[in-house]
Amino acid sequence: MTTRVVHYINQFFAGLGGEDTATVPPASKAGAAGPGRKLAQLLGDDFEIVATVWCGDDHAAGPEVMDDLLALVRAAGPDVVVTGPAFTSGRYGLACARVAAAAAAEGIAAVACMHPDNPGIDEAGTAPVVASGEVARQMGPSLETLAAAVRKVAAGEPLGADDGRVGKIPRRNVTVDRTSAERAVALVLARLGGDREATEVPLPRFDQVTPAQPVTDVTTALVALVTEGALVPDANPDSLESARATRWLRYSLDGRDVLPAGEFRSVHGGFSTVWANEDPHRIVPLDAARQLEAEGAIGKLHGEYLVTAGNGTSVGNARRFGVEWAADLRRQGVQAALLTAT
Amino acid sequence: MRAVALGDQTTYDAGTLTVSSAEAAALVADPALAEVRVSWASPGDSTRIVKVLDAVEPRTKGPGGGGIFPGFVGPAMPQGRGTTHVLRGTAVVTAGFLPRAQEAVVDMSGPAAPLSPLGTTHNLVVEFAPAPGAAWEAVYEALRNGSLALAARLAEAALGATPDAVEELPGLPDAGDRSLPRVAAITNLQTQGTFKEIFVYGRSFGSIALPTLIDPGDLDDGAVVSGQLGHPSLKNPTWVFQNHPVVAALRARHGVDLLCAGVVLSPEPVDATNKELVSAHAARLCKAAGFDAVIVTKEGGGNADADMALKMDALEELGIPTVALYAEMAGADGTGPSIVVPPTKATAMVSTGNYDERLSLPAMERALGGDRVDVAAATALDAFELPAAVVYASLSPLGWGHLTCQEAS
Amino acid sequence: MERAGIPTALLCNLTSIAERVGAPRIVPTRGIPYPTGDPSLGAEKERAWRRRLVERGLEAVATAVHKPTLFPVDRETE
Repeated sequence: MTTRVVHYINQFFAGLGGEDTATVPPASKAGAAGPGRKLAQLLGDDFEIVATVWCGDDHAAGPEVMDDLLALVRAAGPDVVVTGPAFTSGRYGLACARVAAAAAAEGIAAVACMHPDNPGIDEAGTAPVVASGEVARQMGPSLETLAAAVRKVAAGEPLGADDGRVGKIPRRNVTVDRTSAERAVALVLARLGGDREATEVPLPRFDQVTPAQPVTDVTTALVALVTEGALVPDANPDSLESARATRWLRYSLDGRDVLPAGEFRSVHGGFSTVWANEDPHRIVPLDAARQLEAEGAIGKLHGEYLVTAGNGTSVGNARRFGVEWAADLRRQGVQAALLTAT
Repeated sequence: MRAVALGDQTTYDAGTLTVSSAEAAALVADPALAEVRVSWASPGDSTRIVKVLDAVEPRTKGPGGGGIFPGFVGPAMPQGRGTTHVLRGTAVVTAGFLPRAQEAVVDMSGPAAPLSPLGTTHNLVVEFAPAPGAAWEAVYEALRNGSLALAARLAEAALGATPDAVEELPGLPDAGDRSLPRVAAITNLQTQGTFKEIFVYGRSFGSIALPTLIDPGDLDDGAVVSGQLGHPSLKNPTWVFQNHPVVAALRARHGVDLLCAGVVLSPEPVDATNKELVSAHAARLCKAAGFDAVIVTKEGGGNADADMALKMDALEELGIPTVALYAEMAGADGTGPSIVVPPTKATAMVSTGNYDERLSLPAMERALGGDRVDVAAATALDAFELPAAVVYASLSPLGWGHLTCQEAS
Repeated sequence: MERAGIPTALLCNLTSIAERVGAPRIVPTRGIPYPTGDPSLGAEKERAWRRRLVERGLEAVATAVHKPTLFPVDRETE
């Protein structure tokens, strides 16, 4: 039986042009196209590229087109979804990673191909990524790596470093014979024996943030108060979670100069909230900010505060809250924010 | 314990524990409680216990408790000597609504059962209704004191019986014994006051108390009692302190390739300055005590990782090799950064599993502790999905569990 | 938020974590449960302390930075 492959590429590799056509919408055609023709040859007769899906780089970097792209992918009935190679192209790499991630999340086998330094690499979710070269000149060897990976992924076999796998590898809970405490004792004996490398937990890698430009004049700026300290109206009317928050909320500050004890409280589950509940300004400093606003040190305070609970919140959700807060605040003309964190 | 029942009298006979409901309820009764009910939940039952508050292993040192749970049942004096009688395979479990508690679930069958210490024990579940107008602090105290008294009473039922097993535990090694590496445990306690505190000899261990060294035998006799109602999967229940897994694992190698040299209890302060102080002090204490290596554990979420990282770094600076037990918080799909605060000078870490990974729990025929599981927006009897984070003690920071994380294909 | 162009002062106590994860503008505070407070001070002094923290936050968002930078409250001006 032939394995049905759907291949995602960008508008450039689909032959539609470069930056001038970076805004073309999602589309697809039957069969292989561009680098897909060579990929089909490498895959041989057991595989068929049944459709090629593409999109302009400008669109593909936005999450809103993902549903359209996935619908095109799904319509072709793939056994395997293959994206790239994207080399070091940022927007293309992001799209390749997100399409592969979305397919994998639906239970479709998927693999993406890009250079390890491609900024999109961390967006591949649970889909594996194999390394391409840095530039399109290295298409040949990149496709060979990808074709070998497609064969393995289609067969349900794991991909490892030997297959050119790069990027994040999902960590899964497994049950082992020895307790964690017994393993800790074995590890301490290994350390005493001189092993400085052994560990069950790899050191985390955090992404780098380019700082924003400063505001030129705070005395005319619109400034927002935001917090992960889970301060909400006393009844917690919107049921903010005390741990592992999946959402954030907004509460009006219009006409308010203070946040009285008894009217507001923290539902954060990560620390004792006795102090926060005695005086909610210990979490959201509205009293001081209003005073500074009245004195002209702040142009104007934003009319609401944004809040979530930062307790065991996954980095993925926290990143999403940040993106959503930024978008929300920018729409409303906010120029700077004070974020209190517990 | 091989079988349990409720009956007219509290008795033990050949592996079967029968509990008088009336006597049990009377032991827990308090002006702050309008009602107390007890029932058994055993391994394999189609039973879910929700809103679990704490679990205590029935133990006694003689009639009237004889010094067990010092500071609560027995006098506040060091213990850890002589004989301790244990009803293995049982727990007294308090369950029900308290305002600051976070939902904690135990399933007695299905995929979540083996993840919790209570999934494999016969649990005498204590449910309650608060008295009208009672302060929640008083309700909590009544439940804590009552469950300790009840646990001691149950163990007394077997005082006259021949034990199924006798374990002889090693005492602390002589101060000058350098025959094998002296390995100790640092046990961090998240202790911040009411509803989020830990008791040592019945005293609340303050959030900026200096680390202190205790004899592991004290833990066997219940010198450390949990009052921690947060962090369902990342707390250390009294039952787990009584069976301190790191101490147990060290004792298992005692005299073979190491000496089990002691336990340091340390708070997890709520500010960076005091976290640094107690970490530096704990490291000095370990150096002065002559420890050759240390295993560090925590209680709580991300900020508690900082307490472990600071201690690991402080110990390594003094030349003491250190291992710490971390729970991973890698997101539901396991691709996020695993830990909030890694150490910098040494990186020997054990993983107790990913807190965020979800599991499917089956429908159950019986629920104890409450009717709903709000974090799953479901009734307590429903089938639903939950992150491992909600399963009671499933990522046991003290190392009770068998979970770890591995890279998926 | 910084990446999206909104300069954001992070008022928190565990500044070593904030620096490690790359938060650009950090105002050190005195305790995890009370980022803009200090219950040990008494009401009046605590309000003054909170005001200084907010002022420092405003200075932070008006200052150009290139890497994680601490903006501690100057002891003399507490």
